[in-house]
Amino acid sequence: MRGFILCALIGLPAAAQVTDRGVTFDDIRQSPNANWLTYAGDYKGTRHSPLKQIHRGNVASLVPKWTYHMETGRRLEVSPIVYDGVMYVTNSNEVQALDAGTGRRIWWYKDEQSEIQRVNRGAAILGDHVFFATGDCHLVALDRKTGAVLWHKKYADTSKGYFATLAPLVVKDRVLVGVGGGDSGMRGFLSAHSASTGEELWKLYTIPARGEAGAETWSEKLIDWGGAATWLSGTYDPELNLVYWTTGNPWPDFFGGDRRGDNLYSCSVIAIDPDTGKRKWHFQFTPHDTHDWDAQGWPVLIDIPWKGQARKVLLHANRNGFFYVLDRVTGEFLRATPFVDKLDWAKGVDDKGRPIEVPGKDPSPAGTKACPCVRGASNWMSPSYDSETGLFYVVTLEQCDVYVSSSKEPEPMHNFAGGAGEQIPTEPGKFYLRALDPKTGNRAWDYPMTGPGTMWAGTVSTAGGVVFFGDDDGHLVALDSANGRHLWHFNMGQPLFASPVTYAAGGKQYVTIASQTDIFTFGLFEPATAVPVLEGLKTLK
Amino acid sequence: MRLFLLLLPAVLCAQPVPRMDEPDNPLTGDPAAVEAGRKLFTASCGACHGATGEGGRGPNLRDGKLIRRSSDFQMFNTIRKGVPGSDMPGANLPDANIWQLVTFVRALGAPAAETIVPGEPSRGELVYAKSGCAGCHMISGRGGTLGPDLSNIGAARSYEYLRESVLKPGERISAGYQPVTVKLKDGRTLEGVARNYTNYSFQLMDKDGKLYLLNASDLADAKVDVASLMPADYGERLSKEEMTDLVAYLSKRTLRPVEARRRPERRRGAPR
Repeated sequence: MRGFILCALIGLPAAAQVTDRGVTFDDIRQSPNANWLTYAGDYKGTRHSPLKQIHRGNVASLVPKWTYHMETGRRLEVSPIVYDGVMYVTNSNEVQALDAGTGRRIWWYKDEQSEIQRVNRGAAILGDHVFFATGDCHLVALDRKTGAVLWHKKYADTSKGYFATLAPLVVKDRVLVGVGGGDSGMRGFLSAHSASTGEELWKLYTIPARGEAGAETWSEKLIDWGGAATWLSGTYDPELNLVYWTTGNPWPDFFGGDRRGDNLYSCSVIAIDPDTGKRKWHFQFTPHDTHDWDAQGWPVLIDIPWKGQARKVLLHANRNGFFYVLDRVTGEFLRATPFVDKLDWAKGVDDKGRPIEVPGKDPSPAGTKACPCVRGASNWMSPSYDSETGLFYVVTLEQCDVYVSSSKEPEPMHNFAGGAGEQIPTEPGKFYLRALDPKTGNRAWDYPMTGPGTMWAGTVSTAGGVVFFGDDDGHLVALDSANGRHLWHFNMGQPLFASPVTYAAGGKQYVTIASQTDIFTFGLFEPATAVPVLEGLKTLK
Repeated sequence: MRLFLLLLPAVLCAQPVPRMDEPDNPLTGDPAAVEAGRKLFTASCGACHGATGEGGRGPNLRDGKLIRRSSDFQMFNTIRKGVPGSDMPGANLPDANIWQLVTFVRALGAPAAETIVPGEPSRGELVYAKSGCAGCHMISGRGGTLGPDLSNIGAARSYEYLRESVLKPGERISAGYQPVTVKLKDGRTLEGVARNYTNYSFQLMDKDGKLYLLNASDLADAKVDVASLMPADYGERLSKEEMTDLVAYLSKRTLRPVEARRRPERRRGAPR
C-alpha cells in the first residue's frame, strides 16, 4: 500500500507494471497528484495540481513529448483522466487508453451502434471501471486495463430529445450523468447509477412536474419540454456530501412569451444529496432567461475568509457576465460582480442575487443588441483556483450580439430555439485569461488573446506557480499565475476546444491538452538517449 | 469450407434502408439469390475480390463500412457501371444476375446479429464454456484478457468472419493481440500479447492480465510473433453441430438489441 502511495506521488517507475489496485473513492478525494482522476482533477473543480516539477523558473524549457492522433477526431473536447501511467481520452462514442509516458495506444473502444454522434468531454474512473456516456445516452463501463465492456446501460430515451456529451461524475459507489438537448425541447434530469451494475439509483428532474413546487414558475404550455439540460459534469464536496450541478437554458431559448415566470430550475446551480437524489437548495442565476445563458460554467468549491470568518463558498463565472460567490452549505447569495466590461442587460444584482434587468434587452423580431453574447462572458471551459495566489483564473469573452426572437409555434425536438444570437460583424469578440480575486470580486490581472474569437479552451494551474491555458489562436500558453506574465507558448496549429491537465508518469510531470484532432503532451527538455533496435525486432517472426 | 458453403444460403441479412428515389432489391433475403450470387461472384469477381470477398487486387467486401453504408441500388450501379479510374469494369449481365450479386455481397458483410444464422445459441453457450473460450475472451466482464472482448462481437462482425475466426484464428490477428516475449534487463521475462509496440516502447498484457508499460531501453530483447495464441484445431475438436452452435452463440453477443430479419423495413410508399 505504501509502495503504491509513493508510486502515485511520483508516477510510474520507468519499466513498470500498471497497478492491479483499482481506483478508490479515497483516491479520487486525494486527486490530483500524479493522477488526474476527475474531469477537473479534483472533486471541487479547482483544476489546480500540487505538482511543481515544472515551475515558473523552468517552464520556458517545456517541449513536446508526444502527440497522439485521434483518427476520428474532428473537434476534441476531452479533458483526459490519468491513473497510474494510463491516460483515458474520449471522442464521440469512443474511449482510448494511452500510455501516458509515450502516447502509444493500449486499447480503443468504439460504440459503432450509437444513434447519435456528438462531442464527448471525458471519462470517469472507479475501481477497475472506466465510465463514459455515448452520444445516445448509454452509460458504459469498460475494464481500465483491456477496454472490455463490463456493462452498457441506456439511461435516457433519444426519442424524447436527449443526447449526451458530458464526462460522468463518480461519487462514492455511484456514477452521475446528465443530458443535453435543451435547445430543442426536452425535460432535463440528472441520474445516479450503480458503479458495479449501471442500475439507476435515482433520477432528479430539473424541471418540476405539474403540481410540484416550482411548477408555478412555468406557463402550462411548455413545462413538459422546458429544457434545463444537465450537459456538463458537476462538482462535489465530500465533507458536506453535496453534489453541485448546473442547468441549462429554458426552452425555447430566445422566446419567453410562452413560458412566463422564472422557469425553475433552469440557469441554476442545484445542490443535491448524492445518496438520495434530493435537492437541498438551488440558486438561479438568470431567472426567465431569454439569451441562452446556460449556467454551465463550473461550480468551484473553496474555503475563504468572508467578513472575518472562514466560509465554505461556491465560485461561479456565469455566461450572463456576473461572477458569483455563494455559501455552498445553504445556497445563500453572498456577492456578484461583473467580470466582463461588455455587460448591459442588467444594472447589477439585488441583495438576494436576482439580476436588476435593464428594460428593452430581450430578443425581438427586429433584433436587440445585448451584452454578453450568446456564448456568454465565459462558458463550460474550465477555470482554475490556486489557493496560494488566492486567484480564480477564468477564460473570458468580451462580446455583444444581436438577439433575434421568433414567436413561431414551438415544436419540441425540431431544432427550434425561438430565435438566435447573431454576431455583429463590426464587433468581433476578444478573449482574455482573467485572474479574479474571490474575496473582492476584483480583477488581479488580464491576459489578452489574439484570434478569431471561436475558442472553448480552459485552464489548469499548478503549485509551480504556472497557469496553463489554450488560447484563441491555437496555442498552449503558460503564464506566471501570480501576475499573468508570459512564460512559454506552443502553437498547435488547430483551434482549441478543450482544457489542459497535468500529471506525472515515470517520475516526470507532463501537461496535456487536446487540440481539434490530436492529444498533445509536453514535458521538460531532456537530451535524447540512444535506443538500439532490439535483436528480436530486426526481422518479422 | 464445405460446411460454410452449405450454411451460406441460410445467412440472410438486413441492409440500409433505401433512399426514397431508389428501386428496391427484389431479391433481398432470398436464399436462392445468395447461392446464385455466390456462384456468379466466384466466376466473375473472385479473381480480384477473393473467392469469399476477402480482398486481393480489389477491396475486401466483407469487413468494409463501404459495403455496410451503401444501399443495394448503389451497389447495383457499381457492379453495372464499374468504378471509373479503377480496374473494375462494368458487368454485362442481366439485371436479375446483378441483384443476385448484390444479395450475395450484402450477406458477406452484414453483422452476424442482423442475420438469420443456423444453430442454437443456448447450446453454443455450453460449447463456449466447455471449450475454454472464456480463458482468454471476456463477455460482459467475465473471462480472460489475452483475447478480444466478445461482448458485442455479433454486432461488429459478420457471420462468416466469426466462423473463420474460430476455424482459422491465425489468418486474422486483431491489432493488439500479437504474442510477445520480452526479456527485461533486470532478468525478468514477460510473456503475453503486445497491445502495442515500437522500437522504443512496449505496452504488454501478460498471461495473468497484468499490464506493463515498458521502455525499450529497459529491455534486453523482445520477440513479437505474427501468429495467434488461439488454438487452431477447433475445427477438429468440435463437431459440425457444435461449431454451428458456437458461432450462433457468438452471433447473438450484442450490447444493444439487434433484430435479425429477413427483409429490411420499408419506409417509402403506402403501408403494405
